[in-house]
Amino acid sequence: MLSHATTRDWLIPYADGMLAVDERGRIDGHIAGCASCAGELGEVRELNLLLVTLPPAPPVAFAPFWLNLQAVLPQRRLMRMPRIQPYRRLGIAFAMAVTAALVAAGSAFAAPSALPDNPLYPVKQLEEGMRLALAPANERMPIQLQLANERLREAQAMAANHKPLLAENSLRAFRVIVDDAAAALKNPADPKAAKAAKDALHSLRLRLDAVERENANRGDDDQEVKQLVAAANDELDRIEQEDAVAAPPTLVIGEQATPRPTPRPTPRPTPRPSDKDHRD
Amino acid sequence: MAQSEEVPSTEGDAEERRLIDRSAAGDQEAFRQLVLRYHRLVINVAFRALGEVALAEDVAQDVFVKVYKALPAYRHDKPFKHWLHRVAANTVTDSLRRRRPVVSLDGLDQPLVSAGSDPQDIAARHDLQRAVRHAIASLPPHYRDTIALQAFGELSYDEIAKALDIPLGTVMSRLNGAKRLLREHLGDLVSPSEEANTA
Repeated sequence: MLSHATTRDWLIPYADGMLAVDERGRIDGHIAGCASCAGELGEVRELNLLLVTLPPAPPVAFAPFWLNLQAVLPQRRLMRMPRIQPYRRLGIAFAMAVTAALVAAGSAFAAPSALPDNPLYPVKQLEEGMRLALAPANERMPIQLQLANERLREAQAMAANHKPLLAENSLRAFRVIVDDAAAALKNPADPKAAKAAKDALHSLRLRLDAVERENANRGDDDQEVKQLVAAANDELDRIEQEDAVAAPPTLVIGEQATPRPTPRPTPRPTPRPSDKDHRD
Repeated sequence: MAQSEEVPSTEGDAEERRLIDRSAAGDQEAFRQLVLRYHRLVINVAFRALGEVALAEDVAQDVFVKVYKALPAYRHDKPFKHWLHRVAANTVTDSLRRRRPVVSLDGLDQPLVSAGSDPQDIAARHDLQRAVRHAIASLPPHYRDTIALQAFGELSYDEIAKALDIPLGTVMSRLNGAKRLLREHLGDLVSPSEEANTA
């Protein structure tokens, strides 16, 4: 037989249905013969009833809610520039030029290869942002891919230096850039550029493998880095699949980041039931 | 305990992960889509805590601003929805605490949970709900945040444990402590009614 004190300790999880069957049975046994604890259980249930009967909100329209929220959201620098009218681009170019002059002294010391743990890294980010913003639409995609490659180089270095948080930030930035490049791939202004970019995406896969290797080489490999690499690989898969569906690949001979002598389907991590059949 | 309102699956949701990463990088359109998924949930939590739509919207706005600022540090190590619940619970209880002095339990001398549709009963029920909200606001922080997730967020014990990164046993212990204090604070208001006895 349970004591009053023990029973009272368990009344709240009992009323919330959180006790195992045998524990419930013991409480039931005590309550059946104890008016005091039964009364306390009634109070616990009354309180629960009060808590669960707090009413839900009536419907609230999303559009005005978002407009109000958007007005107070802090502005954050984004690694992409939406389409800008040419005359505005001139104005922005002038403003950027002034800014560029101001940061020139600092940037002179900032090696283009500055890593995220370098104090001059923000200068490098600023330079990259300006380069991307000022690029004409048809030249933006190669820059995006170059920046994506740079993010992976950073992630690889940070993983190797046991700085997983910085590696994760670089991987997230990588995904954003690649996502933008993918949008451009679907509507290529120049088919040749699109093909070259697509090949560059393949080379990014190799970089991703390198990041994963560096991360795995550590005794305590960072799970988030691992997941981000997997997510980035999935993203590249998706881009290639969508592109393959949209248009059959045309072979273009020329300068490519990673020449691929024979076009072949990219290996998918998804299970292939037919493999088993072939082995048999 | 009822589960929270329906939202698209979060765990393993690649699209959501993409929206989060893009929002963290400053893409407001991606953030708009995240807010679209969860604004109803957050407003509900805030409304249950505060009882006024306009206030709930203001607090929900604060919640999303906090989320937007904190997204770059979000590590996907727990479902986004649980993390959002935690931010929402903290924000609404803070807001409740700031408004606490308004409430008085005077005049509420009998249980009213099972009150009918009589205007007087409805008014009394609203007062009672307000008393419950502010009793929650008066709890010590670790109790308050835990019970807020149960009462306002309608999370299960297991979901609370995940949202707060604490063991299930700690959730049980905190809810135990919180409800004991609430019963003390609410006094006769939680005397058993017939409805509660059959629950």
